[in-house]
Amino acid sequence: MAHFRDDEARSIILGAYGRVRSDGVAVAAAFYGTEELEALPRDAVEMALGVGHPVRHAGLRSGEAVLDLGCGAGIDTLLAARAVGPTGRVVGLDMTPEMVERARRNVEAAGAGNVEIRQALIEEIPLPDASVDVVVSNGVLNLSTRKSRVLAESFRVLRPGGRISITDLVLEEALPEDVLKSPAALAG
Amino acid sequence: MLLKKFFNVGFADITVAERTPFGLDDLGRYPLFAPDFLEFLRRALPPARHRELVLSIAVTARKPVAAANPAS
Repeated sequence: MAHFRDDEARSIILGAYGRVRSDGVAVAAAFYGTEELEALPRDAVEMALGVGHPVRHAGLRSGEAVLDLGCGAGIDTLLAARAVGPTGRVVGLDMTPEMVERARRNVEAAGAGNVEIRQALIEEIPLPDASVDVVVSNGVLNLSTRKSRVLAESFRVLRPGGRISITDLVLEEALPEDVLKSPAALAG
Repeated sequence: MLLKKFFNVGFADITVAERTPFGLDDLGRYPLFAPDFLEFLRRALPPARHRELVLSIAVTARKPVAAANPAS
């Protein structure tokens, strides 16, 4: 059962991710290797808010086109950009203006010329049909009240034979109602 | 439930590559969660759930080569 309407959920998430500040690397250190992190802009590392390492499971190859759904400050976008190399390209999407701004700064700081950051909803991906080889996403699908729509959009933009690699949080056992109704729980 | 959504959309070769318990201490690493919210969770949840509040999973799948795009 949905506890928030689409617009309520979006407003809560925009607020939480727009306000969030971090000067630690505890989240990134839990999922990524030290060498990977040392090669990235500090802000991309400190603002890592994902729950895994989807790029590790994506099997990216040189020259591939990648879409990062909910790119945040860009940590997975930048790792994907390195994996596909200068002949590949990566598009990072995020709906939060503050995160888009951060990601663009981090892309520039990393000198990643094969990356484009766009502000958009993951339920309405602004890319043509069959235009990417791989979709990655890290801890974002659970934030959407329209998960099937996000997956259908991912399917649409993937080329035939294309792959998707998602890390996310799932519930195996229900949480108490007062937790499920909490805006703070939704934002995470 | 999530895997079924992948299947319903048309993805094939759906694989859970990782499956890791995610508890309150893990949430504590995230600046998204204020200490009072974490304390609320600690009180609201039975101790048995503190170490496994949710699961962190990695899912991979493939769009079949012969797939048509779903009507959107």
